[in-house]
Amino acid sequence: MIHGSPRSPIRAMPEIFRVTVRQLLGRRRTLLLLLLAALPLLLALVFRLFDRIDVQRYSNSVFDGVLIAIVLPLTAVLFGTGAFGAELDEGTALYLLAKPLPRWAVVLSKAMAAAALTLLLTVGAILAGALVEVIPAGEVGVRATEAYVGATVVGGLCYVAVFVAVSMFTRRALVIGIGYTLIWEGLLSSLLPGIANLSIRQYALGVGDWFVQVGREPARLPPETAVVLSAVVVVAALVLATWRLMHFELSGGTD
Amino acid sequence: MTTPPVVDSPPVDIAPETPAIELVNVARWYGNVVAVNDITFSLGPGITGLLGPNGAGKTTLLHMLAGFLAPSAGTVRVLGLSPSSDPSVYRRIGLVPERESVYGFLTGFEYVRFNARLQGMRDADAASRVAIERVGLQDAADRAIGTYSKGMRQRAKVAGALVHDPQVLLLDEPFNGMDPRQRLAMMDLLGEMAAAGRTILFSSHILEEVERIGTEILVMVAGRLAASGDFRAIRALMTDRPHMITIRSSDDRKLATVLIAHPAVFAVELQQNAVSVQTAHLSAFRRIIAEASLRAGVRLTEVSPADESLESVFEYLVHR
Repeated sequence: MIHGSPRSPIRAMPEIFRVTVRQLLGRRRTLLLLLLAALPLLLALVFRLFDRIDVQRYSNSVFDGVLIAIVLPLTAVLFGTGAFGAELDEGTALYLLAKPLPRWAVVLSKAMAAAALTLLLTVGAILAGALVEVIPAGEVGVRATEAYVGATVVGGLCYVAVFVAVSMFTRRALVIGIGYTLIWEGLLSSLLPGIANLSIRQYALGVGDWFVQVGREPARLPPETAVVLSAVVVVAALVLATWRLMHFELSGGTD
Repeated sequence: MTTPPVVDSPPVDIAPETPAIELVNVARWYGNVVAVNDITFSLGPGITGLLGPNGAGKTTLLHMLAGFLAPSAGTVRVLGLSPSSDPSVYRRIGLVPERESVYGFLTGFEYVRFNARLQGMRDADAASRVAIERVGLQDAADRAIGTYSKGMRQRAKVAGALVHDPQVLLLDEPFNGMDPRQRLAMMDLLGEMAAAGRTILFSSHILEEVERIGTEILVMVAGRLAASGDFRAIRALMTDRPHMITIRSSDDRKLATVLIAHPAVFAVELQQNAVSVQTAHLSAFRRIIAEASLRAGVRLTEVSPADESLESVFEYLVHR
């Protein structure tokens, strides 16, 4: 018998991370995400052209209404589902799986790559917009920026973990992710406040309130609850993805 | 010859009697479709060709050996372990899948090094250079794989699979897309690895490929193991089987009367506008048919083997 457990993933994880980042950046849809991420900056410039600095109005309409509601989930959907989905679709996943690595290390490396890109784009978008329209307002602007960066980081991690997991179960992960964002979070959660516990967007806003409430009503979840639920979602999604990878089978065929 | 890479893995402690590859009553089905049906065999060091027509179940079998499919019944062991439940076995397995997909944005060298690092090798760069050299891809090592020809991609895949000097190498149609020179070089490389005590199992649907390097073969047809053992013996079975030949002539009935009297002819059957003949000696029959048509005063319009496809050869092995 061969003795020993799967090999230590210390050398492998950075390599999987690097290759996944290159894989995700090489796709055309990344260009679309760059355009989306530029929206907060463009809108900040428009606000500055036509009005004096208004932290509350800009934050609520752009950071809440555009970035947290649209740009963040879409970016996370595309990177999260692409991290594994492309490998499964194209068949390159075999090269990862035929290695003496614990499956959690493969999932974690992939999720970290998708999360890094998602946060780079979205946090970058917040900082760019904030530098023009929010931070110049002084202390309140800095607090608001911290709040939205915190909300984006937590929301981004949750979205990516969930969409990585979904992509391991279905090839329609992209459609499901967009449907979840638009229908569940965009429509149903505004009509049915009770489903806030199952809305990543509400987790993100709840975490934002930990820093400061920028003139709007408090989030539907208190900050502590939002943090705990976010952690549970991230861990559960990664565990589920690892379990799925451990039981991965190539789809059928008779040859 | 290039020195194989040094692998920083713990010694493999396998009982001497443990076969490198062992399948016992293995079956795999998808719904109602049986892809692999009750297969039992074991392999030790050397090269074995897994031969069979497309759809025979070769890839399913290799995927079970590689741990990407669990058997629906039976047991699969590679180096004494179950590959579908124990990833540690991959330190000693190299896999070349049939699908062409590779990371097209990586250079050949980066791709091989990716495999080396995922194997946890300490000096992944040096091992990758050796593997690239072994498959003769040095000149293209710094080009993106996306720009490679099909044969070059195959060689890059092979380099990635052998970079950690695996004890068992599984290759699914490895010669696809290679030109004859590359094919010979790859066969030499596999031969060297086999001589060094590695167990190599490769699939092919082309008899001649297997003939060149596989001394042992497994023949699969319709999910079943139709034959296994020494290639020459199986080849003789294939050659000595009855051949079916369809003949069209100016007078099929008259020709049939002459042919049936000949000892090399097993059976003659008159069909509509043709006569079907079974013979064991194909080369002899070519002479016989010429003489017979002259003697009968019949003009031949068509003489064609009815069953020369590889599938029919395999079918014969199954039904004999």
